[in-house]
Formats: sequence, C-alpha cells, structure tokens
Amino acid sequence: MADERKLAYVMAFNEAVKQQMEADPNVFCAGEDIGAFGGVFGTFGGLQARFGADRVVDTPISEQAIVGLGVGAAVTGLRPIVDLMFMDFICVALDQIVNQAAKLKYMFGGDAVLPLTITTAGGGGLSAAAQHSQSLEALLCHIPGLKVVMPSNPYDMKGLMTACIQENNPTVMIKHKRLLGMTGHVPEESYSIPLGKGNILRPGKDVSIVAYARMANEALVAAEELAKDGIDCEIIDPRTLQPLDTDLIVSSVKKTNHAVVVHEAVRFGGLGGEIASQIQELAFDYLDAPVTRIGAPFSPVPFSPALEQHYIPNAKTIVQGVRDVMARV
Amino acid sequence: MTTVGIIVNPNAGKDIRRLVTPATHTSDVTKVGIVRRAIVAAAESGATRILLMPDRHRLAERAADGLDLSGLDSSGARRDCVIEIVDEPLTGSRFDTIAAARRFWKEQVGAVIALGGDGTARDVALGWPDAPLIAISTGTNNVYPSAIDGTSAGAAAALVASGHVDIARVGRRSKRVTVRIDDVVLDGDEERHVSRDDLALVDLAFIDAQFVGARAVRDPSTVRAVVAAVATPASTGLSSIAGRVHPIDRWEDGGVLVRLGGGDGRRVRVPLAPGSFTTLDVAEVRPLALGENVEIVGKCVLAFDGERDVPVSERGRVNVRVDKSGPLLIDVEATLNIAARDRRFDAPSHSNTDGDHHGH
Amino acid sequence: MDLSVDVQLDLHRRMVRIRLFEEAAGRLAESNRLPGFLHLYVGEEAVAAGVCGALNDDDHITSTHRGHGHLVAKGGDFNRMMAELMGKATGYCKGKGGSMHISDTSLGMLGANGIVGAGSPIAVGAAFANRYRGRGQVAVAFFGDGSTNIGAFHEAANMACALHLPIVFACENNEYGEFTPRDKTMAITDIVDRAAGYGMPGVIVDGMDVIAVHEAAVEAVERARSGGGPSLIEAKTYRFYNHHGVQNLGLKYRSDDEVAMWKQRDPIFTLEDRMIENKAATRDQFDAIWAELRADIDTAIAFADESPYPTPDQIMVGVYTSMTGAQ
Repeated sequence: MADERKLAYVMAFNEAVKQQMEADPNVFCAGEDIGAFGGVFGTFGGLQARFGADRVVDTPISEQAIVGLGVGAAVTGLRPIVDLMFMDFICVALDQIVNQAAKLKYMFGGDAVLPLTITTAGGGGLSAAAQHSQSLEALLCHIPGLKVVMPSNPYDMKGLMTACIQENNPTVMIKHKRLLGMTGHVPEESYSIPLGKGNILRPGKDVSIVAYARMANEALVAAEELAKDGIDCEIIDPRTLQPLDTDLIVSSVKKTNHAVVVHEAVRFGGLGGEIASQIQELAFDYLDAPVTRIGAPFSPVPFSPALEQHYIPNAKTIVQGVRDVMARV
Repeated sequence: MTTVGIIVNPNAGKDIRRLVTPATHTSDVTKVGIVRRAIVAAAESGATRILLMPDRHRLAERAADGLDLSGLDSSGARRDCVIEIVDEPLTGSRFDTIAAARRFWKEQVGAVIALGGDGTARDVALGWPDAPLIAISTGTNNVYPSAIDGTSAGAAAALVASGHVDIARVGRRSKRVTVRIDDVVLDGDEERHVSRDDLALVDLAFIDAQFVGARAVRDPSTVRAVVAAVATPASTGLSSIAGRVHPIDRWEDGGVLVRLGGGDGRRVRVPLAPGSFTTLDVAEVRPLALGENVEIVGKCVLAFDGERDVPVSERGRVNVRVDKSGPLLIDVEATLNIAARDRRFDAPSHSNTDGDHHGH
Repeated sequence: MDLSVDVQLDLHRRMVRIRLFEEAAGRLAESNRLPGFLHLYVGEEAVAAGVCGALNDDDHITSTHRGHGHLVAKGGDFNRMMAELMGKATGYCKGKGGSMHISDTSLGMLGANGIVGAGSPIAVGAAFANRYRGRGQVAVAFFGDGSTNIGAFHEAANMACALHLPIVFACENNEYGEFTPRDKTMAITDIVDRAAGYGMPGVIVDGMDVIAVHEAAVEAVERARSGGGPSLIEAKTYRFYNHHGVQNLGLKYRSDDEVAMWKQRDPIFTLEDRMIENKAATRDQFDAIWAELRADIDTAIAFADESPYPTPDQIMVGVYTSMTGAQ
C-alpha cells in the first residue's frame, strides 16, 4: 500500500483532538504552553489558531489547578482534555487525580459523570534525567476509577485518543516521548479503538511477549532477531493498561506456554508484576516456565546517555530475557 | 515626657466597599510598615514615650518588634525613648480604637497618629473629642484622613508633642456632625427610652434599611437624607452626594442638609459605585450654619461617615448639627516646615557628639 | 431597596435548617448511631446561608469536610442527607460517601471534600465551564482559613484570576485549622490580605451576621455573573463544636470563655431579634418555623432508620460509568 496515508504519532494525537473538537463543542483543551506555542512537543500545534483561545487554553504552571479545572469542568458537563507536560508532573497533581477525579463518581453514589482526559508524556531516552523521564503508569493503574492508555504506534494513538475523549470516565493518555516522531498508517477519518482491548502486534507460537508503548516496538525488533534462531514470538500490546485485556494475554500464553513481560518502568512493583500474577493465576497449568519480567533497575532514571542506554530495556535485553525463559524449559 | 500615641485600625481598608467602590485594599503588612516608620521618626524627633494601641492582629507588636530606641543613634546623638503597648481589653472591634483614644487622653499624649479611614478618625474622636490628631488614610473613602507617610507623621507628632512646634501654629479645629439619638427600644416585652450621643466627621446619612449588615451603603435609592460637615465632589460613594450638590470645604464654616426623593425637580449624577453613575432626585438642599439644629424623625439606619451603624425605630428622633468641635487636626507639612526653619533637623556638630538629638 | 422580609425569612430558614440538621446529627453521633467522622457546621450557619441565598439553583458550589451546611443551604434534602450519614442505600451517595463526601450535583453542590483545599480547583473548573457555556452561571468555592495554606488554594486563586473566571472564593475563617489556632500557622491575620496578591478584591464580613454575609455575597456574585471576575469574601466566624464530634467545652486548644463569647453572637438568634425589633416577624412565627423544621428532621431520622443498608454487591457499582460518550 504505497499510497496509504502516513502520519507521525504526535500528529495522530493532534488529529484525534482536532476531530473531536470539531465534532463536540463541549471538548476543550487546557494546559501549559499548549495555546499559541502548541505544546512543548507540538502535540497541540495549530489547535488554538483553529478553535480559539477559549477552547485551547494556556494555563499557569499549576498542575493541581490544571487537573482541578478539568475535574470541575467535567463534572459540570464539559468534556475537558487537560495536559500535564511531563508524566513526572502528575506527582504535583496527585490529589486532584487520585482523590478527586478518580473518586468523585463513586463517592457521589454514581451520580457524577467525569468525561475527563488527562494527557501527558512519559518514558525516557532523551537524557531528561530523573524528573522528566519516568514511567509511573503502575501508580495510576492502582487507582480505581481511572483508565490508563499507553499507545505504541500512530494508528493506536489516534484511535485510543479518540476513545479517551469520548469516554465518560477519567482517562490518562500517556504519550511516549521517544515515539512522537514515529510515522505509520493513520486513516484520515475519525475512528476509535475500544479502551481495554489489547492487540496482537505479531502472531507467534513459542513465547508471548507482553509489552506496551516504546517497549512494544523494541519487542518487535527482538522478535525478528529471535526468529533467526527459530523462536517464534507472539507480541501482545495491551494498549490500555487499566482496564487490562487479561483475556487476550492469557489466551496467548495458553498457546505459547511461555511469557515475558516488558516495561520501561522499574521492575519492582511495576505493572509487570500484576500481569505475571494474572498469568500465573489464570494459566498456571499452561506455563512451561516462570513468567519473566523485564524492566528498569530500581534506581531513578539516570541523566548521562552512557548510563541511560543501559538503564532502559531494549531489543537486546528482551532477546536475552526470551532466551532465558526458553532455556528454562 | 514627650508622648506620641499611635492607633492602627486593623480592620480598616478591608470591608465590603472593595467590592462596590474602587477602594484599595490595605494589608496588615502595609500598616505595620507605616507604624514602624512613624515610631522611628517620632523617637528621632524627640518623643520619649510612644504608646501603641493593642489590637487583635498584633500590628503594634509587629511594628515595634526588635526596635531599641534608647542609647546612641547612628549620628552619635543620645536618645531615650520607650515603646509601650497600652494594656486595654480587646474586643476585635471599633471599640478597641475608642478605648485607645480615651486612654491616650488620660495618659496626656501630646499628639495622636491614627491609621485608618473616616470611620477610624470618627472612633478616635468618640474616645477623645479634642485629640491633637494626624489622621493617615489606610481606609476606604478617606475624606477626613490624608495620604501621609509614616516618617513625616511620626516626626510631626513628636515635634508637636514636645512643644518644639507650637500646636497653636499648626493645629486646626475640625468640624464634625454632632448627633443625638432619642429612641424607644424593646427590652423583652418592656419599652425603654434610650438616648445616645454620637458623631460623624464627614457626614451622617439617613438610610431606608433595617439592618447594619455589611455596613456600606450599597443602594443609592435607600438614601433619604445626608447632613454633611465636609462635602467634596472629589470623592466616590456616599460622600459624593452632598459633594456634587453643595460642596463644603473642611475649613469652611457651616454644613449642608441634602434630602433626596421627589422634590423641586433637581437631579444629580453621583458615582456610588465604580464606573457607574446613578441619578438621584434632590428634594431639598439646605445650607446649615454652624450649630444650627436639624431634627429628622422616623425609621432608618444611620450611616456615619459612609458606614451603616445605628438602627433607629419609627419612634426615633435624631437631632443633628454641624459644629466646630472635632479633633485638632495637625498640619504635618506646616509642622515640618517650621521645624526645618528652626533647624530642628540639624545633627550635632563633630566637636560635640554627645549633644541631644536636635543640637540645641 | 432594602432586603425584603421574604429574603430575610429565606436566610433564616436556611440557617435553622442547618442548625437542626447538625444538632440532630450530633445527637445521633453521641449515641453511636453514625459511623465515621462528623464535622459539625453549627455556629457558621450565616456563611453558607448568606452566600447560597445569593445564588441561583443552577450555580455551583464546592465544599469542605465541614460540608453539611453547604448542602442544606443549597437546598439539600434532609431524608437523603440523614440516610447518607447513616450509610444507608437511600442516601445521597448510596452509602458510598458519607458525611465528608455528601453532594448533590443536581443542586450544583459538587461535594463535601475530605481533602483540605481540594474544592477550590474544582470550583475553578466549574466556573470555567459556566463561562464556556455562557449561561451566566457562577461558582462559589467554600473553604476554611486553614486551607489557604495549601498549594491547591493558591493555584486555584491564581488560575481563576488569570482566566478571569466567574467565581467567588468564600472563606470561612473560624480561627482554627483543626486543633491549631490560626496565628500558629500563618503570619497574617486576615485571609483577605492574600487576595490582592492574585489580583482580586477581598473583603471581610462579620460571619455571624447573615445579612452582612448576604450583602457581600450579592455583590460578589453579581460581579462574577457580569464578567467582573473573581473576588474573595472572608467571613469571620466560629464553630461552636470541636473540629469533629460534639464536644464544645473543655477543649485543650481553646477556652470556654471564647466559646461563650462567640455563642453570644449566635447568627440565628441575632437575626431573629433584629427582625422582631423591625416588626418583620414575630416570636410566634419563628417558633412555628422551628417546630415545622424539627418535624422534618424527625421524619428524616425515621426515613434513614427505616432505610436499608446497601448490599455487598454494590461495592463495585459506580466505580466507572459503563457507557462511553454520546457520539
């Protein structure tokens, strides 16, 4: 398909926002530098020019108030998209995310509807050091009331962002900073990918690799390498981390009998532990080896490229992890 | 002993009028700064004792904090000044100002500096009718007090209190609206006659209202009448009514009564709220001679210097006159001019470093 | 026009409803009939009543951990409130929220809040939505003196002013942040001293005088509604009971004399006396109002008592909205 339409990951996000703003006058965006400047990664580029400053709002550097703005506007009937520039900054806004956005509906007896999308940029690989590189998704997935999305490619980005905006629950859309420039096929018309539905990125029969965001792409590279040795990897990209498509993961493992879980976040207490646990609870009898988790070491993200390249898992470490699992048979 | 008294009204400059007029907010930090400058300047200019009014916000303590005004100053002059915060029970209300003024009177204070608005100056006059007064504006409408820096006020107060500048040369008796209220109140099931004397330094307004509420007069249509001792068109709010109908300078003898409502057809535009002018119907404009009595009867709330304060019943009678029995207002600039000409600010010469402050 | 007698009686009724609800809740708590924490609003009634009396039904408010008064003043239903306090299925929150999260979004009451300071950013969001829709609605953030020491308040106040939103910040300065006096936790006395720093006017009113609060609220709400931007009202008030629970005397952090002094300025009795003096109402009329509302409280307690507890299968209900957006 030489003539298929290609779009960068960042522009797929942008297009989803633009199309939903056109479709629904209740959709607005607010965040630091997103207006005239278009966002530090260009994610909101051109939107203020198109929709005006009332719908694409530059805010003070006030993460609690940015999320609070979204919570209050959502609970009174709008459909806000609020942007926290870097995922690390959710820590500044955690009360509004964890105690307010996630819980109002439940605490109010189910009456409140919060169609709120919080967007942010996670992941390392830019020498941005320990406060601008984290992968804190496990923390968010632990909170009942939130939905968490981490797309690995432009097509999924547009479909998932569209779904987030249309969703009537608070969602957190985590863009991966190193994927912003990744291009791929993205249809022009609006479409959504249901939240909670994972995707088989590569079918295989020998081992299931569960990986998301940038690690899903690293897993694809690893799979090609492993294929040379005759190891046929099935790559599952859950896309949505909360709710997690456990069925898809478990059915894959029942077929391959081996599982490797990969994420950029530190291994200890990461989402990989939850996924491994689900696999062992639901497919224990099908496993030929313990589930392996690949993640970052238990340290803050280091600054120097010399350190960071060894810190973040990659195709090589995934190849090694898969070989280890296969060797334990 | 040369005693200067300082009153700072912590509540001035913070009431509802910041929502209804372009009034500025005066923070506690600002007030503390003015008081501190006044203290230092008063000690520098000869005060040996500075009395401060206590208040719930502890503004006096904060202003005096860490100040040591005895011993040698940086020019080598010896000075010996004590700062005392007078011991009065606190109410957190305007009665703290009244009590402090009364206490200053008893303590033979030579000059009073009062920070606040028209309301604060009125409270000082209630506590000490003849107070030698420097009224610094930190309040709202501020027809009576003026914008004076703390340093100048402190210096002038000490110069007058010490007698270095004769108050007869720089003090002027201001006018006031003297008010007597006779009313009948219900005390349980019993009716009781009550009389009280009160005063305003700028104007007294008769308001069609039942409550004191948030004090400011918000609705121009409720103003029935105004008796003004000072009426300036260069003001906003209630005091602008008489000001725009019949201006009266603060030193001019006499006052004015303005009744509002349907009358001879004269109508006047007044700025009662920021950026918005209202048309009022003027029923009567009556210049009042000094001491001329006016009686107004019937149910209303009396607003003193722009603030609703005293409710009067339908059987109440209010007798009002403008007279010349207000505080003795000290002209700060004139005081400092005289002192400068008298070389009161000269430092001791190099050959005589242990002379007193003023080198005489 | 001075305040009409109807408005005076409306403010009075709002206050009496709060007082009776809170006193009843206190009695139930004392006899261990209410689970959880209870933060009573008694003493501060003039603030909620005076402000909510200046609002339209479709205006929004956010509240605090001491939130019953705000919901009552916004028109909350006694039955559903009492049932919620008891953790019953018929409660406002179906037993999921309790005292600290009581809310009714249909009345524009966006929740009591267990996190000090958290309501203000949410009110900013409601104010944003109100301007966005352009129907002239406003939002009010109720908050205590203590919450002005937390970052969320500063972020909210600044953002509201930066975006020039239709919002009123209504501070209930009751002199204590939980069990610590205000002067131990901030170097200023008046919360309004902060307002200018954000670029909005701030005014102090007597929080024990419902007329004073109402007058300021009318001005502030009108300012917000007409595009004049945010403002801050600081109502000097006092809670007659402890931070939580029903003790009022013999507390370590405040004197009984102080409590007695504030109680002399009881906002309800002050208004009643003044209205009787003004011949706007009679003692008999007030007695009848109290009796009528007392009967409502008795009905509410009976309703709550007779209501069922939620069943365990309700634990997972209401975590998420199942449907997606309207498109």
